[in-house]
Amino acid sequence: MRLATYLLPRVLAALVTLLGVSVLVFLSLRLLPGGYADILLGPFVTPEARAVIAQRYGLDQPLVVQYLRWVWAMLGGDFGVSMVTQRPVIDELLRRAPVTLQLALIALVLALAVGYPLGVLSGVRAASRRKRRDFGRVIGAMGASVPDFVLGSVLIFVFSVWSLWFRVGGYVPLGVDPVGNLRTMLLPGLTLSVFGVALILRTTRDAVLRVMTEPHITAAVARGASPGAIIRRHILRNAAIPVVTVVATYFGFLLGGAVIVEVLFSVPGVGLYIFNGLLNRDYAIVQAGVLLAAMVFITINMLADVLYALIDPRVGVSR
Amino acid sequence: MSGLARIARRGRPRPNGLTIFGVVTLGCLLFLGVFGPWLPLGDPSRIAAGPRLDAPSAQFLFGTDELGRNFLPRVVQGIRSTFLLSAVAVAITAVIGTLLGMAAGYLGRHTDQIVARGADILFAFPALVAGLLVAAIMGPGQASAITVISIATLPLFIRVVRSVTLGVAGRGFVTAAEVAGASTLRVMLVHLLPNVMGAVIVQLTYALSIGMIIESGLSFLGLGVQPPNASLGSLLRQGSAYLTIAPWMVLSSGVVLSLAIMSVNLVGDAVRDALEPLKGRPLT
Repeated sequence: MRLATYLLPRVLAALVTLLGVSVLVFLSLRLLPGGYADILLGPFVTPEARAVIAQRYGLDQPLVVQYLRWVWAMLGGDFGVSMVTQRPVIDELLRRAPVTLQLALIALVLALAVGYPLGVLSGVRAASRRKRRDFGRVIGAMGASVPDFVLGSVLIFVFSVWSLWFRVGGYVPLGVDPVGNLRTMLLPGLTLSVFGVALILRTTRDAVLRVMTEPHITAAVARGASPGAIIRRHILRNAAIPVVTVVATYFGFLLGGAVIVEVLFSVPGVGLYIFNGLLNRDYAIVQAGVLLAAMVFITINMLADVLYALIDPRVGVSR
Repeated sequence: MSGLARIARRGRPRPNGLTIFGVVTLGCLLFLGVFGPWLPLGDPSRIAAGPRLDAPSAQFLFGTDELGRNFLPRVVQGIRSTFLLSAVAVAITAVIGTLLGMAAGYLGRHTDQIVARGADILFAFPALVAGLLVAAIMGPGQASAITVISIATLPLFIRVVRSVTLGVAGRGFVTAAEVAGASTLRVMLVHLLPNVMGAVIVQLTYALSIGMIIESGLSFLGLGVQPPNASLGSLLRQGSAYLTIAPWMVLSSGVVLSLAIMSVNLVGDAVRDALEPLKGRPLT
């Protein structure tokens, strides 16, 4: 089974990466200034209280034992307890995950809907005319250069002066009021999508340009196939392959990394939760949030490898 | 399709409008950043230099902030710290990443496995989420910002240098050096390093623009450069509190920051076209 020999090492590598990530995140909490007992009990902690805490949380055990216990607890769904609310962190994270997922999906759909067609158009134009720089490069350069918080701030300014249809802040759950939800979610989604537009446009453009030098395109031209048919049958499909990888990476970052946009637009997603956890020195939240973000990122990239193998029939063969 | 014939005849890339725009903008910003403190722009930290939240005028080109400080010299100070911080972080990371990447590509086997997995692990952390964890451990500040930039850009250097090294390591001159008794370190520094430098320089510009985005993002969240020092990100944070009544603070620092990142990206594209004409955008 050629597909299996392609996928197996990738799945193993993803597992090793996951292991490394968990070790790093675990050690990072042990590096916190003051240690867990001080954070939990404040500066006036007695040695007895410290010992009680150390025993209760297993801090008196060797690091390896602590790590294994920690991983075992997580496998059972226990990601720690918020120091502020004393409730399981995972409950709150799961409650907020759909919000971040919706935001990421809006951004991804917008980025694909704009970036992919523009990338194909720009690539075909650049290859068939003698234009080194066309609109594709200008949009690509601009979109990749305006940070999300700059764009978001400008959008907030524009839409808080002229309210128009969008609303800034005041999140409404999708299930309660779908229209009201979109009114608040489209602006942050748009803000997040601009980088994706540039990324997908540039990748698609490069891929199209590369495909267009391949012999089968020349052959199709020689056969007398129309340009439209060449683009549809030969270019679009082949150019999609590198785009899948980039889209997966982008989606992974969207799911874990939308901290700034969520803070800026007060979207109650995972990023805002982690950020507030940091401000409250609620380190269990930060730890669980970072770990989950990295896990999601690794998983999505692994799925992209699977998808890649399915789209490109050559993958299993050349390996 | 006549395009193919034209592609075959293509020559070396010539400077074009976007590249010239990038080089000029970057030059101006670097000039301001380096010589800013000695230019007659005003004192960035003098409180009540003018009215509070005063709109841009001939005297205060970018207006004033909520303490009546002249905003133009503050933006110039911001350019200085954003560039400096990112450049320092990226320079350190480039050295470490190049050495690790060469070691992985040349030594192979276990070294390669460990370094490549390590790069994957670092790459799995979304930069700003990792930034929150780093800020929790190290506390907000410039050291945190540098650490986060390194975490985010180290995998880029390692991966690129490793793949270039893999292509070079089996070539005749490397074998010849080994046979002549050159030490591992000598092979890496004398024979491999010159071959990976081109790729490193290309990555440097991209890493610099990523570094600037991360630095300003962290400072925007209040986790990077701390007051009274200013970075373009912290100025945006300051301005966003007065967004509706004094939009010039956000607009001026936002536009300057975007221009800075864009100019680095454009110069990076030009450097890539010049150094690696067959890679990336080969046919345009």
